[in-house]
Amino acid sequence: MSSEQPVRTPQQPYGEVFDRGYQHYQGERLGRSYAIRALIIYSIKRGLGIKKKWTAKIIPFILYSIAYLPAIVITAIISFFPGETGLGYSSLYGFLDFVILIFAASVAPEMLCDDRRENVLPLYFSRPISRLDYLLSKISAMGILMATLVFGPALMLFAGRALTDDNPASWLVNNLDEVLRIAAYGVLLSAFYAAIGLTIATFTTRKGVASAIMIVGVIILSGFANGLYFAIDDPATNPVVFLSPFDVLDGARAWVFGTGLGGGSMAGDADLPGFSYGLVIAAIVGVAAAVMHRRYVSEE
Amino acid sequence: MTAATSSDQWMVSTRALHKAYGPIIALDTLDLNLPRSAVGLLGANGAGKSTLIKGLLGLLRPTSGKAWVLGTDVQANAVSIRERVGYMPESDTLPMDVTAADFVGHMAEMSGLPARGARQRANDVLYQVGLDEERYRLIRGFSTGMKQRVKLAQAIVHDPELVFLDEPTNGMDPQGRDDMLNLINRIHNNLGITVILSSHILGDVERVCDYVVMLDSGRLVVSDSIETLRQGSTDILVRIDGNETTFVERLTARQIKAELSGHDILVAYESDEVYDAIRDTAVDMGVALRTLKARERSLEDVYIQTVSGIGGPVPLPVEAANVE
Repeated sequence: MSSEQPVRTPQQPYGEVFDRGYQHYQGERLGRSYAIRALIIYSIKRGLGIKKKWTAKIIPFILYSIAYLPAIVITAIISFFPGETGLGYSSLYGFLDFVILIFAASVAPEMLCDDRRENVLPLYFSRPISRLDYLLSKISAMGILMATLVFGPALMLFAGRALTDDNPASWLVNNLDEVLRIAAYGVLLSAFYAAIGLTIATFTTRKGVASAIMIVGVIILSGFANGLYFAIDDPATNPVVFLSPFDVLDGARAWVFGTGLGGGSMAGDADLPGFSYGLVIAAIVGVAAAVMHRRYVSEE
Repeated sequence: MTAATSSDQWMVSTRALHKAYGPIIALDTLDLNLPRSAVGLLGANGAGKSTLIKGLLGLLRPTSGKAWVLGTDVQANAVSIRERVGYMPESDTLPMDVTAADFVGHMAEMSGLPARGARQRANDVLYQVGLDEERYRLIRGFSTGMKQRVKLAQAIVHDPELVFLDEPTNGMDPQGRDDMLNLINRIHNNLGITVILSSHILGDVERVCDYVVMLDSGRLVVSDSIETLRQGSTDILVRIDGNETTFVERLTARQIKAELSGHDILVAYESDEVYDAIRDTAVDMGVALRTLKARERSLEDVYIQTVSGIGGPVPLPVEAANVE
């Protein structure tokens, strides 16, 4: 170790004094589109618990782990048993539907409830964005978060199947339609739960209440519709199946992936046209959009 | 000259601006031209101050009429106006589980500043409002005064040309109120940001502003510079050793306006001849003049006189009456 000490000559200043007087901002201003982007990114971070205390990160972490684990397991099974295993996207989504319900129920209130409970909206609306911009930013953030959970595991499974095939290139060419099916069902699934979650979140400022209403509501409604359907047991009451969120998704999934529905389920028993489930989801999204528009854009 | 063109020279301009909520009129056909200076919006609670500010920010659609801010039509270009102005709302509007630096930085980004510049500006502005040390603390732990400072910081973080401050001293103790008013003075005088201060506290407006708009039940009562209003009619305070009532009667007989306020005689100043008349009356009555001094009209006098002229005065606190 050197014993030499730095010697300060009289010419060298011991420290520096910084003038921290106010200076006007001379940098660039990126306007409305940048503000929207900033709000989307901020909302995504809030949804994932980033820059919040560690407890806020637990639920997203657990849900991501649960969602991606089945894709890894199914890919592993397919690689070990390359023949027909009966496992595919429909099986994966059959499991993911409930995980995504929990995820949507925990993230949607993060998007909207805090800003209203803490009365932050006047500060956002005094910025160069419109009320519609605010709402679309929140919906976009929700959509992006849902996409990471809805598309990620299925695309991982798709990639796993391609890589475990003897000829990955030709497999990819022959199975590209699967990507479209994943995209189609992913959009339906995300839109369905996001619409329900965000709509509930517009009516309460309490995140826990919004989450509970969504999860319990979906489960109770599905149970109620099933009970009603099998109690009446009349073909004329088949549309009761549309009251059950789980069965609506089952029907849509079977329609998109071209798989059959088990006869034991309400959707399988009702045997309604596949596209009708898509229409029901579109109608729910439309009603949700109208409610959110009324709550945020029309109000002064 | 069109209204739009004439509005260019004013910081804020309105033509017959009207806002009604059903039968309740919040703003009653306001015609305003506000100069580029520190402007006080004065009026009792419910006078229409906050409604006017929200209307000027484009947050409320007026029932009828037009408004221009910084020469720009509010209804046509509300979003572009909000890039150039800041707003500090009256109510509690801060998220609790965010640090001051993160929140003010986020608000800077929401005004279009790139992320790096936003962070830098947030730190600078929090330093300017006196929250340099506390900027990495969660807002949840802040006192009322500190929260008001955060609200002020987010209002000026994007370096606006004009900032609307809605009741900025609400809920603050006397020391905090004093600090906040000093800060607002600094923002206007040193930082060069034009201020529109809404308050129901006469003392706040008197201390910070040089132009005042008085509203009463949505109606415009006064819009003028404080200096002009004070010059409007100075009173002369007279105290005598003798019968004050007779003194007032003698002055009135000389066509001079005078009134008794306790033992004080308030004489309206119209010209220097009034002083001669006071002296002559004292000589005639053989009484000694103990006090003879000009008394500048306060904003409170102006408020009481103008508002009482249109239906009775609404009391306004001269000092902060709502100290928590």
